[in-house]
Amino acid sequence: MHIPDGILPITISAAGYATSGAATWYSLRKIGQKENAQASVPKASLLTAAFFVASWIHIPVPPTSVHLVLNGLLGAVLGYYAFPAILIGLFFQAVMFQHGGLTTLGVNATMMGVPALLAFFIFRLRRVVGKESRWAVGLFGFLAGAAGLGIAALIAWGLLINTIPAHLDVEAERASIYALTLAHMPLIVLEGIFTALVALFLHRVKPEILED
Amino acid sequence: MKWKWLVLPMSLMLLLALTTTASAHGAKIEYTISMAVEIVATYDTGSPMTGGQVTVYAPDDPATPWLEGVCDEEGRFVFTPDPTKPGTWDVQVRQAGHGDMIHIPIGEDVATTGGGGYSTFQIVLMSTCVIWGFVGTALFFSRNRREYAHS
Repeated sequence: MHIPDGILPITISAAGYATSGAATWYSLRKIGQKENAQASVPKASLLTAAFFVASWIHIPVPPTSVHLVLNGLLGAVLGYYAFPAILIGLFFQAVMFQHGGLTTLGVNATMMGVPALLAFFIFRLRRVVGKESRWAVGLFGFLAGAAGLGIAALIAWGLLINTIPAHLDVEAERASIYALTLAHMPLIVLEGIFTALVALFLHRVKPEILED
Repeated sequence: MKWKWLVLPMSLMLLLALTTTASAHGAKIEYTISMAVEIVATYDTGSPMTGGQVTVYAPDDPATPWLEGVCDEEGRFVFTPDPTKPGTWDVQVRQAGHGDMIHIPIGEDVATTGGGGYSTFQIVLMSTCVIWGFVGTALFFSRNRREYAHS
């Protein structure tokens, strides 16, 4: 899911920085409009730590393996804080472990952060059914978690499939990109369930955390 | 003088023998010592990048691929760099948009082994530091909130 340095053309990397800049500006503006913007910083900070370590948790999906992303969960629980949280998490992953890269930081942040914002909007739709309804929290939690990762996987697929360098064996690379995208299908369901469980847990023990 | 009759066949046999010698035993071996570079590409789970596509870039032209190939079952790939091109050779391995690039110095300063990545201990230590940074941030801001609540 994390695209490393040297894979994408420079124009895509620059465009990624532009879109992630716009998304950061939008998120910070929305956070600034909140009454007490600092109140959610501890929650955002802890979930950034969770996002940071999630990429080390590998799940074998033969013939390959995929790792947790949790961008849908961050979107559902953090709301507008999700994008800066993902950006910071990705920066540390790139600097510390070469997981992703600094030239592709903007692309990766857009790829995972924008679907996180969409997951937040999906999770907010539970209001239509009723805020107190447990099954609405569960259902929209699942949809948010699954959609967050699903859209991110689709963006990654679109970016990679359209930028295969001509000097490679294009057919082999295309086949392996398809295989990797398909391997994310079980993870999409898994992250959906995980997000639903976390949302239900928070709804029961500390519902004000889900107020955003 | 019967032996005179033998001169012709003898000469023919000698000629035949000489030419046969020249064609069958005229082997020559020359040698030059060249250095082969073996790379092993693995994912961070430890599994090999089987079938990963390898692109080698020579130091004089880092934009045009010098050699292309594919990793074997164990993620291995061997190539012999051109000794007339000393400098840093770049080798990229890519599969499904994932991969890495390694920079191999060839020439006067040759490192016989090398690679990227950290040991498990380093990774655990670095992760702990970063996580503590996040937890500390959380604690700091929750302390401020409690103070606001009391005032």
